[in-house]
Amino acid sequence: MAKVKNWHLGRDMEYVYEENRPKRQWSIVFDLNKCIGCQTCSMACKTTWTSGKGQESMFWNNVETKPWGSYPLGWDVKVLEKLGHQEWKKHEPYRGKTIFEAAEPTETTVHFFPTDEDWMYPNNGEDDCTGNVSHGTHLNLPHDQWFFYLPRTCAHCTYPACLAACPRKAIYKRPEDGIVLIDQSRCKGYGECVRSCPYKKSMYNPYTRTSEKCIGCYPAVEQGYQPMCVQNCIGKIRVMGFINPPWKARKDNPVDYLVHQMGLALPYYPQLGLEPNIYYIPPIHANREYLTQMFGPKVDDAIKQYKKIKDDPRTQGLLVLLGSTDRIMHSFDVKHGVAYGYDEKGDEIVSVPVIEHSYERPRYDSKYEAVRNNTP
Amino acid sequence: MRIIFSLALVFGSVLLADIKAVKTTTDLSKTLPADSVWKDIPKEPVNLVAQYMVNPKPKVNHTPLIEVQAIHDGQWIAFRLTWKADSKSEAGKTGQFSDAVAMQFPVKEGSPPPIFMGMKGNPVHIFHWRAQYQKDEEKGKPEMKDLYPNMNPDMYPMEFKDSGHVKGLNAEKREVYSPGKASGNPQSYQKNSAVDEIVAEGFGSSSVIENKMSRGHGVYDPKQKTWTVVISRPLVRPNGSVLKPGQNGFMAFAVWQGAKQEVGSRKAITPNWVSLQILGPT
Repeated sequence: MAKVKNWHLGRDMEYVYEENRPKRQWSIVFDLNKCIGCQTCSMACKTTWTSGKGQESMFWNNVETKPWGSYPLGWDVKVLEKLGHQEWKKHEPYRGKTIFEAAEPTETTVHFFPTDEDWMYPNNGEDDCTGNVSHGTHLNLPHDQWFFYLPRTCAHCTYPACLAACPRKAIYKRPEDGIVLIDQSRCKGYGECVRSCPYKKSMYNPYTRTSEKCIGCYPAVEQGYQPMCVQNCIGKIRVMGFINPPWKARKDNPVDYLVHQMGLALPYYPQLGLEPNIYYIPPIHANREYLTQMFGPKVDDAIKQYKKIKDDPRTQGLLVLLGSTDRIMHSFDVKHGVAYGYDEKGDEIVSVPVIEHSYERPRYDSKYEAVRNNTP
Repeated sequence: MRIIFSLALVFGSVLLADIKAVKTTTDLSKTLPADSVWKDIPKEPVNLVAQYMVNPKPKVNHTPLIEVQAIHDGQWIAFRLTWKADSKSEAGKTGQFSDAVAMQFPVKEGSPPPIFMGMKGNPVHIFHWRAQYQKDEEKGKPEMKDLYPNMNPDMYPMEFKDSGHVKGLNAEKREVYSPGKASGNPQSYQKNSAVDEIVAEGFGSSSVIENKMSRGHGVYDPKQKTWTVVISRPLVRPNGSVLKPGQNGFMAFAVWQGAKQEVGSRKAITPNWVSLQILGPT
């Protein structure tokens, strides 16, 4: 076991291999306050990558309704239960154990193998609220009864459990963009990655008898385009970019800005120890204890920060850039009420007004002697 | 226990069993477990331990013993391997793994390489029989409908065609929808032999070599709860291991109990090389 730096935890941790960060790291930020659970991302991914035989129940991108939904069934509660109760005090490093540190001596991680049936109900729990809304209930914040949508891809972790667990070393992390891939020519379908990934984003294909996973749409990324799930997001809730570790963060990098500069976006289940590279702006009206379990103790600050966006034109500008271009934004700027996105060379690829122009017309048009109304 | 085995590695092989391959006149290229040729061949018990060198390891040793019979005809050598298995597992669906057995031989003459699948520059030659591969050989590679009879997929894009412009894809283009196949992974193709021949230079380095010769056939007895598998191979395998009558050589074994979730490094192994004497005139 090597000691590696995990900045999500604020401490060093044990991992099978030495720390070896890629030149840059693929990353997605999702604003969960805006996800409408339309599953367009799931279908964009499905039709692009997993329409073959043996992939019938395979969703590299899925959207599940929290807290009742999950794909595969109960993945989150099972891995948390296996890991056991762990403590994480606010403003302190995580003192609990990761899935690597809590592993039995004969294993690489704390893990479980979902059953075949667990993969067959990706819509399980969809749109289910935490409980019934009874007569006389009025609106409270945070909401008494709540749910939110959680879109998930592979997190192309800095410390992938799938890669650590593969006895054939058939899984590798690309140095150029940090995308984690299963070498389809070497995989023998042992399923150790399926067993060990706590997010359950390695999946077994019984037709090819190999394991498969989200490839981060690397052919698009190599050409400067965002993955299909991001490009096709109807709610414009997500942005793909390259995240730097906090000690190399750049204020004009969209992902660095949301994660490091503003502390708005947080990794999910960081306590598992993988340093996952998908980040979420937490849903501000959901139950806070649940959010703390999922996003860690920084969730309070993230929500406070989110509520300040109404007075922050720069963050507003970045959030309107989400979903406004298919290209990968390497930097952004907001000036004179317009948000700009730039490519790697610094050339402008998109510009969006931060506030849409609107014009209010008088109710009575004296020229045409007509009354205007809003009837379409 | 680990220290003892490690010492054994350092100081050479502690031979736990002594397999003698008797010369016979029967053609062994197609021998089966029930053939009469095996009747009078003594069974050599070989003890196995749970793989203990790399993670993941089995917590329990599910196969403490394998019984080995060996014969040769001057051209071919055949091994009849018997072990206890509570149930038969041929894999197929997600989370199911296959019963399997493997025999390992050093490639180079002289003292054998580390038992754990050889080392860089000193490879081993492995014959890996799987119940799953045997099923492939006998019944063809299962289609999704064979694995999941009640499944009802709407449409596979690679199979779609109509009477008009869409004529359907040729075999090569259809493979794009099966990444394992498109990458040329032997795992993803139909197995025409129940035995894979593999060369390895250390753990996790195994790669399948073209197999046109060796054969294997297993029979599971549900009453006795026993697998009996015969693997026959030519004595001389160019680019692989070479066995000679009169030679004192080495071999090793591994067994996987699929129903106990054994696969990959979750297996029972011989902790040391076993002596193999090939009797008869040189």
